[in-house]
Amino acid sequence: MESIKMETNNLNLWYGDKQALYDINLPVYKNKITALIGPSGCGKSTFLRCLNRLNDLITTVKIDGNVMLDGRNIYDEDVDVYDLRKRVGMVFQKPNPFAMSIYDNITFGPKIHGIKNKTELDKIVKWALKKAALWDEVKDELNKNALSLSGGQQQRLCIARTIAVKPEVILMDEPTSALDPISTLKIEDLMAELAKDYTIVVVTHNMQQASRISDYTGFFLMGKLIEFDKTEKIFLEPAHKETEDYISGRFG
Amino acid sequence: MLATDKNVKYTTHKRVRMIKDNIFLFLVGSLTLITIIPLFHIIISIVVKGLPIIIKNGTTFVFGTLSEGGIGPAIAGTLMLTFLATLIGLPLAFLAGAYSYEYPNSFIGRTTKMLLQIMLEFPTILVGTFIMGILVIPMGSFSALAGAIALALILTPYVSVYTEEAMAEIPRIYKEGGYALGCTRAQVIFKVITKMAKKGILTGILIGMAKVSGETAPLLFTAGGLYEVYPTNPLQPVGAIPLLIYTLVQSPSIEDHQIAWGAALVMLIIFLALFIPIRYALKDEIKL
Repeated sequence: MESIKMETNNLNLWYGDKQALYDINLPVYKNKITALIGPSGCGKSTFLRCLNRLNDLITTVKIDGNVMLDGRNIYDEDVDVYDLRKRVGMVFQKPNPFAMSIYDNITFGPKIHGIKNKTELDKIVKWALKKAALWDEVKDELNKNALSLSGGQQQRLCIARTIAVKPEVILMDEPTSALDPISTLKIEDLMAELAKDYTIVVVTHNMQQASRISDYTGFFLMGKLIEFDKTEKIFLEPAHKETEDYISGRFG
Repeated sequence: MLATDKNVKYTTHKRVRMIKDNIFLFLVGSLTLITIIPLFHIIISIVVKGLPIIIKNGTTFVFGTLSEGGIGPAIAGTLMLTFLATLIGLPLAFLAGAYSYEYPNSFIGRTTKMLLQIMLEFPTILVGTFIMGILVIPMGSFSALAGAIALALILTPYVSVYTEEAMAEIPRIYKEGGYALGCTRAQVIFKVITKMAKKGILTGILIGMAKVSGETAPLLFTAGGLYEVYPTNPLQPVGAIPLLIYTLVQSPSIEDHQIAWGAALVMLIIFLALFIPIRYALKDEIKL
C-alpha cells in the first residue's frame, strides 16, 4: 500500500495582505511522482516552496496550517530548517549551478553537512553524477567550471547536487521549462528513475509532461487545489469542470 | 502620383536624419577627445620628465636613499602603507559590504550603506587630522601604523561598496540554491555569494589599493616621512611616494624637482600595475 510521505493540512498563505493559497490539503505519496499543474499565478510554485520552507526567505509571507513530513509538522518551532532542507531538496526552474567546478558543485552540500573525507566525497560525486545520468559526459572534466556546461547538463548537475545530500523528497519547480526537447526527455527519464528511491513533487506547465511522468496530479486554480487524484483519473475522467477545461486546453 | 510625392518627402526626411546623426556623433566624439586629452597629457609629461632622471640614476633611483639620488625608502613606505591599510581595512570593509547586502532593509543596513557612500566622497585631509588626533598625538610620534589606519579608512568604502554591489548582482536563484541544500545564512553569503561575486569584490579591493597608494592628504599629519633609511618598524615614521613628491616640489632645487618627476613616474607605474589587472579581471567575467 502507498504510504504518505508529506501532507499539508489546511495550508493558507499570504503575501502581505494578499492571500495566495487557500486551505490546501494535499498528500504526497512515498516514492511516487506528484505533479502540480495549473495556469500561471495559480500558486503551485508558492505551494512547492512551502514544502521546504523556502518561503521563509520572503519576509512578507505569512503561513497558517500544517505541513507534515513523516508525521511531524515542519513549521513547528523546534524544527531545524537547515536539516529540513537537507531532507527535502529542490531543483529550480532555471539551472543554477554555482560558479565553481563540477566536482565542487556536487561536494558543496555534503561538505556543508560535515563530510570532509576526500575518498568519501569522491564516491559521492561519482554516485550522484551516475544517478543523474551525467557521469559519462563529464567524468574526464570534473574540474571544469559548471557554468560551461549546456543548459540540460547544468540541470542534471543541479539534480546531482541535490541528491548528493541524500534527501528523502525532491521538489522540482518546472525543471524542464528552460530546456530543449531532448534535454527535457533526459530529465523526464531521470525523474522516473529517481522515483524508485525518492519522493518527487514536480510543478509543471506542460500537461503532456504531467501525464507522462506522474503518478498523482493536483490541479491548482487561483490559489485553490481544485482536484487531486491519480494522474490517469485527472486526465481521463476529471471530476471538476475547471480541471477538464484546463487539461483539454480550453484555458490556461 | 501621390505615392511618389510621399517617397520624395521620405528621402528628404531620411537625409536630414542622417545629417543630424552625423553631427551628433561628431560632437560626442570631439567632446570625448577633449576629456581624455588631459589624461594623456599627464601621462606623457610624467614619462617625458621622469624617465631621464630614472635612466641617469639607474637602479640607485629605485633602491637608493634620497641623498644618493633615489627614492627606495619612499617606494618601500608606499608598499608598506598600502599593505598595512589593506590588512586593516579589508576584513572590516568586506563584512560591512556583506552586511549591507544581506540586510538592505534593516535600519543598520540602510545606515551603513548611506555612510559608506558618504565615506567614498569624504575629504581625505579630514581623515588625516582625525587619525592625528586619536593616534599620533597620544603616541607622541608619526608612524606607519597611523598612516595605514588613515588609508584604511579611505580604502574601506571602496571595498564595501564594490562588495555590496557585486553581491547584489548575483541572481536570487543562486542564493535559493544554497538555502535549498540546507545552508545557513552565513554559509550562503560566505560560500555561495562571495565565491560568485569574487571578481567584483577583487575589483573593489584593487581600486581601493590603487586609490590609497596615491593618496597624500591623509599621510600629511600621520606618516611623517622617512627617506634616508628603509622603514622597518610600523610604529616608527614612514615615507611614501606621493608625500615625497609633495615635499620635493616645494624645494627650490632643480635636482629635487627632477627626482619628484621620477617619483611620479614610479607612482604611475605602481598605480597602473594595480589597475590593469582590474580591467583584465572584468574582461573574462563569466556571464550569469
